[in-house]
Amino acid sequence: MSQPLLEVQDLAIRIRGTGRNLVDGVSFGVMPGETLCIVGESGCGKSLTALALMGLLASPPLEIAGGKALFQGQDLLGLTRAQFSRLRGDRLAMIFQEPMSALNPALRIGEQIAESVRRHRGASHRAARARALEMLEKVRIPAPETRLDEFPHQLSGGMRQRAMIAMALANDPALIVADEPTTALDVTIQAQILDLMRRLRDEAGTALIMITHDLGVVAEMADKVAVMYAGRVVETGTMAQVFGDPQHPYTIGLMSSMPAFGAGAGRLVTIPGMVPPISAMPPGCRFASRCPFRLPRCEAPPPLVQAGDHQAACWRAPLDALEVTA
Amino acid sequence: MSPRQVILEARALERRFVTARPLFREATVVHAVSGVDLAVEEGETFAIVGESGCGKSTLARVLTRLIPASGGSVRYAGRDLGGLKPAQIRALRREVQFIFQDPFSSLNPRMTVGALIEEPLRIHRIGTGPERRARVAQLLERVGLPAQAAGRYPHEFSGGQRQRIGIARALASGPKVVVGDEPVSALDVSIQAQVVNLLADLKREFGLTLVIIAHDLAVIRHMADRVAVMYLGQIVELAPAADLFEVPRHPYTEALVSAIPLPDPGARRARARVAGELPDPTAPPAGCRFHPRCPYAIGRCRTDAPQLSPRDAGGRQVACHRAEELALAGLGSVAAARSPAARKRFDLYRQARAAQAQTDQPPAEGGPIQQGD
Ligand SMILES: Nc1ncnc2c1ncn2[C@@H]1O[C@H](COP(=O)(O)OP(=O)(O)OP(=O)(O)O)[C@@H](O)[C@H]1O
Ligand SMILES: Nc1ncnc2c1ncn2[C@@H]1O[C@H](COP(=O)(O)OP(=O)(O)O)[C@@H](O)[C@H]1O
Ligand code: SF4
Ligand code: SF4
Ligand SMILES: [Mg+2]
Ligand SMILES: [Mg+2]
Repeated sequence: MSQPLLEVQDLAIRIRGTGRNLVDGVSFGVMPGETLCIVGESGCGKSLTALALMGLLASPPLEIAGGKALFQGQDLLGLTRAQFSRLRGDRLAMIFQEPMSALNPALRIGEQIAESVRRHRGASHRAARARALEMLEKVRIPAPETRLDEFPHQLSGGMRQRAMIAMALANDPALIVADEPTTALDVTIQAQILDLMRRLRDEAGTALIMITHDLGVVAEMADKVAVMYAGRVVETGTMAQVFGDPQHPYTIGLMSSMPAFGAGAGRLVTIPGMVPPISAMPPGCRFASRCPFRLPRCEAPPPLVQAGDHQAACWRAPLDALEVTA
Repeated sequence: MSPRQVILEARALERRFVTARPLFREATVVHAVSGVDLAVEEGETFAIVGESGCGKSTLARVLTRLIPASGGSVRYAGRDLGGLKPAQIRALRREVQFIFQDPFSSLNPRMTVGALIEEPLRIHRIGTGPERRARVAQLLERVGLPAQAAGRYPHEFSGGQRQRIGIARALASGPKVVVGDEPVSALDVSIQAQVVNLLADLKREFGLTLVIIAHDLAVIRHMADRVAVMYLGQIVELAPAADLFEVPRHPYTEALVSAIPLPDPGARRARARVAGELPDPTAPPAGCRFHPRCPYAIGRCRTDAPQLSPRDAGGRQVACHRAEELALAGLGSVAAARSPAARKRFDLYRQARAAQAQTDQPPAEGGPIQQGD
């Protein structure tokens, strides 16, 4: 077994000077060439986790409250700004939900990609431009020679997403972090972009952390899955394990809430209530206020333990029998 | 299916938008709705689906007379809405209500929740003051919000709660038809499921007819009786929901259905992908508007525009030259593919939820309110 490419241990993020962590004790690993999907509803800390790995946390007010993130043996959480800017766009790349947040509106598409190639690889102007064209061809932008000299606003949303992917992949990164890259797109364009990411990832053997709120996207892309709820990883395993034998009440409730899982008719089986605000987060299991399996012992934080053939953070894992709830 | 009374009907409906573009000499015209025929039946849930910009919202607005048509006609309960005077349009609002997509911007931030829900009652002069306030309290309870919510402001509520407020407001005047433009699209899955259930319950309870726009096809399959698929301002297929997803008859429907990312790893399938993107709506392609992206296009498709066929015995209509000869792929059932272990967990969860004996609302009345982000 080879070494993990990235190993995150006990990552914690908080607003400076406040008590409860927004991201709390998050751990996961990514092997070379592997795709990990982090899935959870809005506000559960997916983006903060990604931004922390990329050195892009808005700090202040946010700060890393603990943990490690070993990437090729180097702790990302301890890097300086200068070290990060050398790494980002080179061995480590990020794709955002909104391409305009990554693309410079005043620079032509080709120029942006070429600039990154020159900076990280010391390539000549000519070689860098050739690489930019090659990348636009790779992501199947029609008429790439023309697009090279266009500005981001001249492209459609789907095309911009392709251009950002081209830029992220230009220097053959070992790891890509993609934060909801298809959430803003129509379903047919989303399918095209997912196909594209899958193909490029497989061709280049790039590892991928794909962040999404959509279990459908997870099923399309993942080797491994980490389900997050309110800042914590509540369940993790291979995709087959998590979908085939879901263990955490939140994972099961989330799946039950999805019409695609239902038979088509009748009421959906839902999760009651909503995520408490961070100021009212229970100190024990953060899902307790909504959990139909809750017991008195859930007032203490549940550790991530073996449940079936993978892991869940629940006092009742493995979830087999229906005890009387508190 | 027994034939039901038609409550809302569109014939050859048109809506154009003219935009002046400073860079170009001539103004451009978008045919947002272009020759739409449809009949919504009393008591059904009728869905409109399609990609962004295909004209769903415009169609919904024209159908409810929020904006006038540029051509064709809309009839509500047999009455032509074309020549209505402003006072008559206001009266129509009592029976035909609208729920908006964005619960964050569709509610006046300076009005209390109570005043927002009471407003339609005041406009239509329904009840006395105390009667109206009692009705507000009743509606709040019915959509799963505490009575104290009446005195608070929209920004104090989460996205899901604001959508409940929007629903209570739409129901206040006792409408017959409720049109929802992406009413659950902005919500997280767990909250979306609560609101989907709520809409289904209210529909039954108040005998509503629902017209729902959504881009999430799984939600549509769950909620709708019949579905109209739109492409560039036109209806390309109209069919009972189950049939449409099982056996699509229009190539664009097949493409939409096969693009749904199914939450089932076993379903990673070979797919009918469409290439390219939605063409410029100001210059729709000649012939079949879908032909530049259609994998089945033949010569004729580039020149002849296919018409929506009359309803067949199964209640289906399609606008495609090749509908008879093509055998298109539909959506399999995810539930069927589920493992025994997963099925057991879903059953356990359902039992536990039943035992929890709670409705789909926050555990504690007026409990923690999350600020939407
Ligand atoms: N007020 C307007 N002025 C000019 N063009 C408009 C106007 N409203 C809509 N359009 C155009 O009409 C077409 C249909 O728009 P519409 O909002 O109905 O689409 P939609 O299907 O609801 O899309 P979405 O899924 O993004 O909500 C689009 O090309 C849009 O740009
Ligand atoms: N810059 C910030 N300042 C303060 N709180 C933040 C900031 N960014 C995110 N948060 C909070 O951190 C939590 C997790 O946010 P985020 O990682 O963006 O969620 P997700 O990406 O899963 O939707 C949320 O409660 C959010 O409100
Ligand atoms: S630890 Fe308790 S409250 Fe938390 S998910 Fe498990 S059973 Fe539910
Ligand atoms: S009419 Fe032709 S182009 Fe249009 S959907 Fe049918 S086969 Fe495709
Ligand atoms: Mg996010
Ligand atoms: Mg719309």
